[in-house]
Amino acid sequence: MYHNGLRYGRIAALVFFTHVIMLLAVLFRGNYETIQDLIPLSSAVLGLDLVYIIVLRFFYKQMTYTTDFLLLLVLNISVIFQSCFGGIGFASKHYITCILALICCQIMFLLTRNHIRLMAIKKYLYIVLAVIMLAIVFLTGSRSMWIQIGSISIQPSEFMKPVFVLLCATSIMEQHEKTKVLFFYVSKEALLLTGSFLAIFLLQWWCRDLGSLPTFAAAYGCAVICRICYPKAKFSKKTLIFLCCAGVAVVLAAVKFAPGYVQDRLSVDIWNDMYGNGYQQCRALMAIAEGGLFGKGPGYGDLIEIAAADTDIVFSTICEEWGFLVALLVIFFIVSLLILPMINKPRSYYHTTMVLGVAAVFVVQMALNIFGSCNLIPFTGVTIPFISQGGSSMITCGLLAGMLKAGQSPVFRKPDVVAENTLSFKVPFRKEEQSEASQKSENSNTIPQNPISSNRNANRPNSQNRPPQRPVAPNRNANNSINPNLMPHRSVNPNRNLNRSINSNGMSQRSTNRNENVHESMNPNSVTPQKQTYYRNPYQRLYQPHQNQNKTEQGGNHYEKY
Amino acid sequence: MKSIKRGERLTILLIILFLVGMVVLVAKIVTEATFYMSHSNNVNIGCVYDRNGEILFDPNATAEEYGADYFLDIGNVIGDDSGQMTNTLVSENIDDLQNYHLLFGAVENGKSAIYTTLDHNANRAVYDAFGSKNGTAIAYNYKTGEILVCVSKPSVNILDYQNVETLETGSLLCKAFYETAPGSTQKVSTLVAAIETIGYDAVSQKSYNCEGTYYNNYNNKIMCHKLSGHGWQSVSQAFQNSCNPWFAQLVQDLSLDGIERVFQKMGYQINGEGNATMDIDGITCFTASTELTDVNDFDTQWGCMGQSKTVISPCQLMMWESAIANGTGEVTQPYFISYKQNLFGTITDKAKTEYSEPIFSADTAQKVREIMRENGDAKYSSINYPVGVKSGTAQVKDGKEENSLLVGFCDDNSLSIAFCVVIENYQESDGISTNQIVRTMLNALSS
Repeated sequence: MYHNGLRYGRIAALVFFTHVIMLLAVLFRGNYETIQDLIPLSSAVLGLDLVYIIVLRFFYKQMTYTTDFLLLLVLNISVIFQSCFGGIGFASKHYITCILALICCQIMFLLTRNHIRLMAIKKYLYIVLAVIMLAIVFLTGSRSMWIQIGSISIQPSEFMKPVFVLLCATSIMEQHEKTKVLFFYVSKEALLLTGSFLAIFLLQWWCRDLGSLPTFAAAYGCAVICRICYPKAKFSKKTLIFLCCAGVAVVLAAVKFAPGYVQDRLSVDIWNDMYGNGYQQCRALMAIAEGGLFGKGPGYGDLIEIAAADTDIVFSTICEEWGFLVALLVIFFIVSLLILPMINKPRSYYHTTMVLGVAAVFVVQMALNIFGSCNLIPFTGVTIPFISQGGSSMITCGLLAGMLKAGQSPVFRKPDVVAENTLSFKVPFRKEEQSEASQKSENSNTIPQNPISSNRNANRPNSQNRPPQRPVAPNRNANNSINPNLMPHRSVNPNRNLNRSINSNGMSQRSTNRNENVHESMNPNSVTPQKQTYYRNPYQRLYQPHQNQNKTEQGGNHYEKY
Repeated sequence: MKSIKRGERLTILLIILFLVGMVVLVAKIVTEATFYMSHSNNVNIGCVYDRNGEILFDPNATAEEYGADYFLDIGNVIGDDSGQMTNTLVSENIDDLQNYHLLFGAVENGKSAIYTTLDHNANRAVYDAFGSKNGTAIAYNYKTGEILVCVSKPSVNILDYQNVETLETGSLLCKAFYETAPGSTQKVSTLVAAIETIGYDAVSQKSYNCEGTYYNNYNNKIMCHKLSGHGWQSVSQAFQNSCNPWFAQLVQDLSLDGIERVFQKMGYQINGEGNATMDIDGITCFTASTELTDVNDFDTQWGCMGQSKTVISPCQLMMWESAIANGTGEVTQPYFISYKQNLFGTITDKAKTEYSEPIFSADTAQKVREIMRENGDAKYSSINYPVGVKSGTAQVKDGKEENSLLVGFCDDNSLSIAFCVVIENYQESDGISTNQIVRTMLNALSS
């Protein structure tokens, strides 16, 4: 089930050697005076690699490590980049923020992988958002987005991003619960989410920080589309057309009433205004050209003299020193982070919406930064995730990466069960362990499955208390009704007929009965044959709900509801 | 489940959109990198050479190395990389002069260069021949299209100009590519239009009287430069005399549509319609434009004699001469750049001779050629070469000044040169004539 791509040892070696190669490139092509100049950077990068690899291997077991290693790969590459801009040194501040990002990633992973826990504290998300917004209004300077604490600048608006993505994800399932207010049926969750977005929009506008608006708009837009795609959604074509028209109208109005400096950027011909509004883009494009495919060499760039060379136009700075190919490769690594959840697929509406929100934020930020600095679109001051310098941005990206990871390693248990089992299972890494696990699996008369999931179950201390594991009988005649949030990888024996319905909570349910015809309430004309078996999902066996219980009858139990 | 898949698809769509953007970015960088580098100070620029290997532009040139006035005659044609001049050979081809390749970035010892068709010695000789007068001269081989001489005076010394404000007006422009009143050299086009519309036989049979002043059908007065008049003349005589009343009467006898059709084919922008410019190795060159409303109207007639609203670039006048001199009606396309050399020393963009579609018939070309040759033999023997020519005097600056023009071709297989010379604010007393400049030019090119 979990596609790790490479085994732990190999992927760790790959990350390590990538960094070694980059450090060798610094050694042979870099701009430094003595070789001692390289020692802090090399030891910091390789040290972090080793520490993180060891921590993950021995103290922090999980199902897939690919995201962690990609994150480590990108962050340490970022440290090398930032340390080389304009001359070899060591970007200690950036290094610390990278470590913080790694920690934040793990924290957010633990916090968000179980949506049951998060749903319980959902109301606090609105409070957190409100606190951040109030902090922006009252603690920043005049219409600014920055809080100065001594020598440290914090951009609290960055922290709104993960909170907003979580709001989108947690509200998706309840957006269809409508209540009648006067003559209208309204969804409280949808209104709250839209209200939050509008509040953010107004705040950003007030602070003259319009660069981040597309990021929030993308996350909100994706949430709206997810809401449209939700099984219970009853969106007419008229509503869709209205939404599209409203979106276009808002964009046009925003362009028309945008501040002067924004309108200048929308219409500027950079080469005719090389020393005015087009200065940064012109220099950025020249730097890309000067670097060519292989770059001038680490530390030999001139672009660092330009404002925001390590943040807003960092792509060009990398191109200049490391070459266009390396810059593209790093972007590919970041995109790979977003592609991973498409391989280890999210298994619930909550996780899907969360991953989609994170992808929207990352993609829009990268697009705004790279395409803006290269004059494909108007220039805005946003960062490239994990690459640009900036503590607030880096921590935010770490938090968002944690959500990506949670989307791939979800938990569908009650919070107490989760806490009990978080660090208790062991993942086999060696081939022998996997074979052993497979053997155990076969001995226990189950269908052959992913060794990781089988071994996990074998090592679970409380697995004996779970409902008995049961293989799917070809002609099973059980009324098996399962919540899709619990059973994302549902599969049905081809000999069984399938009847799916939607319960009152908006959950897709399935009951199997060989005497019934295939029927799917959402789309009666289409049924997708399911090839996988129930037992390919490790959670299903561990937490398979009461087999004969009809979900539609379930009520207030939190676990059953979700 | 479907909803989850839709969410996944949306994520993939976002990523695909981003990747499409990246592909566009890569394409943009690959295609425009040299343009970006043209604005950079971190790249070496190659040299420009003339047809004999003499340097016409060196980014590191100094007065000590080359002499103070070495680049003066080609200053506003070749230009420099300072960014203060546009529409020059260097400014418009700076991308190809850069020792830069996207693969390797800026290369310290690249071999990028441009080899032109210009003859620096001839150019300098023509420049000197202008003496104290300003003006322009352009000449090219009408068989191959190689531009051999291109002078525009006043020029700019690229080794010594800091403040463009202090330069004489027009110093930064090569006037050969900019429009000017053609004067009676326009009568070549009018003659072509007449032969094309009513045939040479009809034209040759035309005989009009010139009494020095002619009143056209709308009773507008058209003056001849010879106030006593030329009397009754044939087409050849009128052409040699450059008689305005004769040509005014000829225009009256032609159809407006016929003249428009021929002029359009020749490349005129008529009444604001048509292309006003052409491109010669990146340099923008104005073509010709006129206003034609009514063959009986004074302005139309006056325009057909090179005044009123008619303006033509000397380069365009020269190009028409190639169609006549070749006897085919096809214009030989001029070019400056013989070939380019990239930073690895490989020859690229080697020029080849190209001809336009016939702008008039070969018969017309041959008849006009005969008439021009007769004119050259009769009145321009002082040039000492077998030339076919047409002179012109154009009133400019509201008639306060007159420019003297001479267009034509050398009818010699070993010296197949078409040319156009303009002397600004011409006065006989200055002792410098277009004949002398053409003679100097042909002498320099034949040696």
